[in-house]
Amino acid sequence: MIDLEFSEQQQLLQHTARNFFAAQCPIAKVRSLETSDLGYSDELWKSMAKLDWVGLSYPTELGGAAGSILDLYVLYAEMGRCLAPTPHLASSVIAGETILRGGSEAQRGRLIPEMSRGDLIVAPALTESDGAYGADAVQLVAQADGENGYRLEGAKILVPYAHVAGQLLVAARTGSGPDGVTLFLIEPGAKGVDVEKLGNIANYPLFAVTFDGVAVSRDAIVGPVGAGWATLEPVLDRASVLQCAEIVGAGEAVLDIAVNYAQQREQFGQPVGKFQAVQYLCSDIAIDLHLTSLLARQAAWRLDAGLPHAREVALAKAQASESAQHMVRQAHEVQAGHGFMMETDLQLYTRRAKHWEFNLGDVHHHLDAAVAAL
Amino acid sequence: MDIRFTPEQDAWREEVRDFLDAELPPEKAFDVEFDEDEALWEFSHAFTKKVGAKGWLGLNWPTEYGGLGRPPIDRMIMSEEFEAREAPLSGSIGWGLTAGSLLAGGTEEQKQHWLPKLGRMDLHVAEGLSEPAAGSDLASLTTTAKRDGEHWVISGEKTYTTWGTHADWLFTAARSDLTASRHRGITMFLVPLDLPGVSMSPMLNLGGGRQNHTFLDDVRVPHEYMIGEEGGGWHMIMNAFYGGGIHAGHAYYERAFAAVLEHCKQTRRGDGLLIDDPIVRQQLGQLALIAEQLKMLTYESVSNFNNQKPPSFGGAIGVVVSKEARPRFFELCNRIVGPLCQLQEGRFAPMRGQVEAWYRHSYANHAGGTSQVKRMVLATRGLGLPR
Repeated sequence: MIDLEFSEQQQLLQHTARNFFAAQCPIAKVRSLETSDLGYSDELWKSMAKLDWVGLSYPTELGGAAGSILDLYVLYAEMGRCLAPTPHLASSVIAGETILRGGSEAQRGRLIPEMSRGDLIVAPALTESDGAYGADAVQLVAQADGENGYRLEGAKILVPYAHVAGQLLVAARTGSGPDGVTLFLIEPGAKGVDVEKLGNIANYPLFAVTFDGVAVSRDAIVGPVGAGWATLEPVLDRASVLQCAEIVGAGEAVLDIAVNYAQQREQFGQPVGKFQAVQYLCSDIAIDLHLTSLLARQAAWRLDAGLPHAREVALAKAQASESAQHMVRQAHEVQAGHGFMMETDLQLYTRRAKHWEFNLGDVHHHLDAAVAAL
Repeated sequence: MDIRFTPEQDAWREEVRDFLDAELPPEKAFDVEFDEDEALWEFSHAFTKKVGAKGWLGLNWPTEYGGLGRPPIDRMIMSEEFEAREAPLSGSIGWGLTAGSLLAGGTEEQKQHWLPKLGRMDLHVAEGLSEPAAGSDLASLTTTAKRDGEHWVISGEKTYTTWGTHADWLFTAARSDLTASRHRGITMFLVPLDLPGVSMSPMLNLGGGRQNHTFLDDVRVPHEYMIGEEGGGWHMIMNAFYGGGIHAGHAYYERAFAAVLEHCKQTRRGDGLLIDDPIVRQQLGQLALIAEQLKMLTYESVSNFNNQKPPSFGGAIGVVVSKEARPRFFELCNRIVGPLCQLQEGRFAPMRGQVEAWYRHSYANHAGGTSQVKRMVLATRGLGLPR
């Protein structure tokens, strides 16, 4: 059966989420949160938790709602549409699902219910100073230190929400090769950990975290030693697809902005949207977001169905990274000087699109991954 | 949401594959748009008749018109398999465009009369819509049809007539009412190409095929060869273009991609295999992405049909993407193969010169209107921008 429509429940979730974010996260709030100390709203986050969205994909016995990736896809498209600033992708998906997969029963029981309630944020610390993405890029050293633990030495960058995280989920190198990565849970307040804010284009809460001989006990390891990347990789696939969904939702908003402007703005005695050159720009945006949506929905569905998905995920994120950049460029051409002004909303999307383009692997990474998957 | 084929659909795919195993030797596979080899064409005619005899040309048509009444997805599956092997199915203007027009606006009597014949490939029909001054703006056509008793007298010039010399009929549009508005006065006809007053002169195309100028000089066409209602031509053509069977165009790209990938796995340049070159891998990734985009657009049309949803963005997005992807896809193939992509034959030509041919073929992406016209449809009908 070839059916690309969302289920009735998913359509209901879409409707609820659209109304929720329109009411709870209007664009004025997005603007004010961006420059606030926290960079997000704990009130909004807790409201999402009450709706079971923070732990949407977690098992019910751990406080979740046992949702699928397609359910999350629907939620992410709506968060993208209104640019909701939340730690969902970092904490609920990347950290939470890694703990669910790799963590001990004790770790799961202790952390996941608290995360579902929105009371605990766990920040994944994966990227290092060269910005590379993948197992090879993990170079931060975890040196065995006696019987009971490890010492971590090195730095992570682009760590989201480290300022409010109760735990950091750190990928570190305990051996060579892809089987030499181990995951550690470390409190940001631990001795030797330093957290430094990174100014960035989207004003995202992104941080550099340095580890200066930080002592970690063995019970802070998530999953077997050396199996860190194997635990993380399937979660990053899921996260990549959700990043695509966020881009699709934002793309729909960008398309609305461009089309509305082209319909209303008059020059040379007619709406500029009557000029074919402007119609081209608008149709480019529609094509970008539509192709991203088709490829990302396919990838999400394959993840849910338990089918091989490396190629489909890689192609979806390659498309999404390309589209994220291209659709805002075309929208800037439509809105011209007006779109360059901070008072217009387009720039809010433009700046976040740059984060999304590179988050979880850029177009080069994913095109290569798609070929590797053949 | 589901992107799986049912067991019945898988079985149907197997049936199509078995048919192709039995009836299509690999050396007889060719692109009917770009090859004029007589022996291959003889094979193509016989092969297409066999497909027709199984009822597969009219697979989706209602059974009362000689069809099998099967759902569009079965036609899509068949098309995937035929494209995957470059099956030389000819006569698509007959069982595709003409039949689509009849189903969209033919009278009951016409449907009963013509569809079974078209489904069996009893008629080989060539396309006679475009004129020298009426391409994307087809409604500006000037060929005239004047009623004279039980006949119509048709005069004018048609252009780009593909398969004109292989066909025996012409599916054409003429202006039957000079006083009506430009969309209302058009009537469709099937014209036997052996009638007095019909002549052709060749137009050789970049792809290696022959198209034609077709001259209609007071051709007397029996009234019973009129298709649809008098003055109803425009409505029929539009609905035939947009409402025809679902073609699996993506399979053409998947086949090309598989061949280029194999070439990269086996070909060395400098110190290593092409497949290990990071730039080539990026280009292969882009090819895979285009093929996947087109596959998902095809699957979306199947899904929309099943869910009785209107086509996305005024039905224009799929054609815009595929028309624009074609030259880009084959330019990328050229870059992967490098300077040898110019070679057509001989021992130095990579992939038997296929890359060179595909590139030339890639500019045949304007049938049914240019991507620019489809973009206008996307922008106005799909996005609500002003006309």
